[in-house]
Amino acid sequence: MIKKIITSRDFILFGIIIFGVVVVGIANPFFVQPSSLSDVLTDTSILIILALSQMIVILIRAIDLSVASNLALSGMLISLLSTVYPELPVIFFIILSCSIGTFLGVLNGVSIAILKVPFIVTTLGTLSIYRGLIYFVSDGKQVYSSEFSEDFLALIHYKFLSLSFLFWIAVAVFILMYILLNHTKFGRNLYSLGGNPDAAKYIGINENKYIILAYSLSGFFAGLCGYLWVARYSVASTQIAIGFELTVISACVVGGISVMGGVGTVVGCTLGALLIGFIRNALPAVDISQFWQLAISGAIILIAIIINTKTEQRKEKTIMVE
Amino acid sequence: MKLELKNISKFFPGIKALQKVNFKLKENSIHALLGENGAGKSTLVKILCGVYQPDEGQIYLNNVEQKITNPITSLSLGISAIHQESVMFDELSVTENIFIGNHIVKSNSLVDWQKMEKKTKELLGNLEADIKPNEKIKDLSIAQRHIVQISRSLIHDADIVIMDEPTASLSQKEIDELYTIIRNLKKQNKSIIFISHKLDEVMEVCDEFTVLRDGEFINADLIANTNKDKLVTYMVGREIDQIFPKKQVKIENEIFNVNNLYKKTQFKNISFNLRKKEILGFYGLVGSGRTEIMKTIFGINKYDDGEVLFKGNKLKINKPNDAIQNGIVYLSEERQNLGMTGLMSVKDNINMAIMEKNSDYLIINQLREIKNAEELQDKLNIKVSYWSQLAQSLSGGNQQKTVIAKWLSTKPEILILDEPTKGIDVKSKSAVHEFMGELVDTGMSIIMISSELTEILGMCDRVVVMYKGLIKNILDVSNTSSEEIVKLASGE
Repeated sequence: MIKKIITSRDFILFGIIIFGVVVVGIANPFFVQPSSLSDVLTDTSILIILALSQMIVILIRAIDLSVASNLALSGMLISLLSTVYPELPVIFFIILSCSIGTFLGVLNGVSIAILKVPFIVTTLGTLSIYRGLIYFVSDGKQVYSSEFSEDFLALIHYKFLSLSFLFWIAVAVFILMYILLNHTKFGRNLYSLGGNPDAAKYIGINENKYIILAYSLSGFFAGLCGYLWVARYSVASTQIAIGFELTVISACVVGGISVMGGVGTVVGCTLGALLIGFIRNALPAVDISQFWQLAISGAIILIAIIINTKTEQRKEKTIMVE
Repeated sequence: MKLELKNISKFFPGIKALQKVNFKLKENSIHALLGENGAGKSTLVKILCGVYQPDEGQIYLNNVEQKITNPITSLSLGISAIHQESVMFDELSVTENIFIGNHIVKSNSLVDWQKMEKKTKELLGNLEADIKPNEKIKDLSIAQRHIVQISRSLIHDADIVIMDEPTASLSQKEIDELYTIIRNLKKQNKSIIFISHKLDEVMEVCDEFTVLRDGEFINADLIANTNKDKLVTYMVGREIDQIFPKKQVKIENEIFNVNNLYKKTQFKNISFNLRKKEILGFYGLVGSGRTEIMKTIFGINKYDDGEVLFKGNKLKINKPNDAIQNGIVYLSEERQNLGMTGLMSVKDNINMAIMEKNSDYLIINQLREIKNAEELQDKLNIKVSYWSQLAQSLSGGNQQKTVIAKWLSTKPEILILDEPTKGIDVKSKSAVHEFMGELVDTGMSIIMISSELTEILGMCDRVVVMYKGLIKNILDVSNTSSEEIVKLASGE
C-alpha cells in the first residue's frame, strides 16, 4: 500500500515541488518566507481553477483552447458595465461574468456536439472570435484601475488566515471538482466516456449531452476567472491572459491528465498547476535570465510528458502462457 | 421458450451474412452456438445485442415479439453479452466497471461508493472469484475481466448471457473456474449462449447446440445426442468447392527459414521453412499468435530469440523497411487502418512504397508512377474510374487489390498475406485467389494467414496449425483433412 502511494505520480509530482522549493530556498532564502510562498499560491490560483475546468474537457478526449479568450471577454464585459453602473453590488458582476462565460462555453459545446465541428477547429475559432469581440466591445481601449468602483476591487484583497481570497476560491473549486469528478454520476460518466467512448455508448451514456455540459463548465470557470483576473490586476484590456490557454493545458498535462482521455485525478491536476506556477515564480527569484525562462519551463513540461507516456504504455495481450 | 429467432436474415453489400436462420434457446440452459469463422455467429450475436437490425425475420422473447433497435433496448430486455473484445474501462476500478451506467446514488445524489463496493464484494463472492473491488481493470487477467463482465450482466438483471469465446485465452485452471461460474449462472435460472471453437469444452459444459455454416442454419439438438466428430462434420460440411483455382506449379528449393523464434508472452519454438513458389498457410483461432509472428518477421515488432534466414543468410530485420529491402512484404489484415491511405488516390497508394525508385534527383517522376499503376491495374483488374480517385471510395475487393498492387510494386520475393479475403465479396475473393496462383507461377512464395479452412485447403501446399502461440503441426494439405486441422487448432 505504502509502496503504491510512493510510486504514484501524484506523490512524485508533490516530491518534485517540495524538492524545487528546497533548492530555490537554498539559492534564495527570501523565496521560502511564508509571505512569498503565499504570494506564489495567490499567483497560481487562477491557473489551478482553469486547469481543473480544462481537465473536465480533456477527460472526454477534447480540449478547450478558447478559455483565455473567454476569460478576457467576460472580464472586459463586466468591467465596461461596472464603469457605467458602479453602484451595482460586486456579486452581481461575478454572477454576470460566470453567466457570460457559461454562454460562450455552451456555444463551443453546441458547435462540437450538434454541428459536429471538430473540437480543435471549434475552439481555435472561438479563441479568435472571443478575443476579437473584446476589440469590438471596448474599441480597443483599456479599463484602468481608477475607473473601477472600490467594491469591485475590494473583495480580491480580503484575506483569511493570511491567505488571499483568490487562494480560497481555488480551494473551494478544488473541493467542488473533487466531489464532482469522484462522487457524482456525472463525473464518473466523464471518465468512462473518455476511457472507452464506444463502450460508453453501449451502456447508454449520451455523448452529446456530456460534451455540451463539459464545455459549459469550462466556460463557467473561465467566466469566474474573468472577474478574478480583472479585479486582481485592476485592469481590463484586449491583451489580458493572452496565450494563457497553453499554460493551462500544460498544467493539465504535467498533472497527469492524459490527452487520450479518461485518465487523471483532481489532485494530480492541481499539483501540475502548482508546479507550473512555482516554476514561473521561482525562475526569476534565482536570477535566471528572462530569455531562458520560457525554454526551461518548456523543457520541464516536456520531461513531464515523457514520464507520462512511459508510464502509460499499455501491456501487450498475452497469447501464450509460459 | 426463452428466446426464439425465426427466419432471421441479414445482408451486407455482396454478402449474405445470415439466411433464414432459426435459433431456439430454452430457459435454464447452456446453448452452444457453433460454426467456423465467417459462419454468421458474430452477426447473430450483434443482432441480439441491438448492434445490427435483421433484414428479415422475428425475435421472440418469452414468446413475445420484440424489436431490438439499439444496445440499450437489448440490455433492458435482459440480454447481456460478454465480448471477446473488451468493452470495459481499463482505467476504472472493478466496482465501477460493474456499476457503470447504473451507479448507486445516495439521497443527496452523490455516488454511494461504499454500497457499490459492498455489493461488488458480494457478487464476486457468490461467483467465488478472487478479485478486489478497487483494482483497476488494466491490472486484471483476461479471465478476471470475463468475471467482471459477468458480474456486470448480473447487475443488469440479465437472464440471457451471451459468451463469445470466453475461454479463448485462458489457462486450464482459469477455464475450470469459469465453468463453475457458468454452471452457477445456470442454477440462478439464466440462459447462456456459449460460443466456442473448442469442441471438448462444448461437450463438457453445454446442454444444447446450434450449428451455422455460411450464414445458414445447419442443425440443432441436445448435446447428449451428438458427438465431436458429428459436430465437426456439421461445421465443415460441404466438399471444398471450385472457387479456388489453384494453379499447379512445381515447388522448388527452400528459400526462407525461421528457427526457434521466441517472443515473451506471444509465441515460442516457431520453426518453419518456405520453398520457392510455395503457398504456405497459417491456420489457427483468432488470437493464436499468427499475426504476431508475421509482424515480427516483417520488423514491426521485435523478437526475443531465434533467427530468420533468407536464402541461407541470416536476416537482421529491425524495421519494416529492412524486410522490404530484402524482398519480404506483409499485407496487414487491417486493410483500412494499416494497408492504405484512404484519402490518397489509387495511383498514389500503389506507388507509396516505391517513391524513391520512381524519383529522379528527389523529384517523383509522375509518368513512371502512372505507368506502374496502369500495369498493375491491368494485371489485378482494379476497377477505377480515374487515376486520382480516392482509395477509400473503392469497394472492399478493389481496395484489397490496391494494397496488393502497392506491395507488388516493390517486386517482393516473399509475400505475407494476413486474411487477404476477409470481408470481401466472392468475386473479388476468387480474383485474389487466382492472382495468388499467378504470382507463385512467376517465382514468388506466399505465406497466407487465414481463418477460413476451405481457403487454406483450397489454396495452400502446406499448412502450419497454431494454438496459443505454439505450432501444433505442419501438414501437407494433400495429406490431411479439415477435421484434423480443426482438432489441432483447438488444442487437441
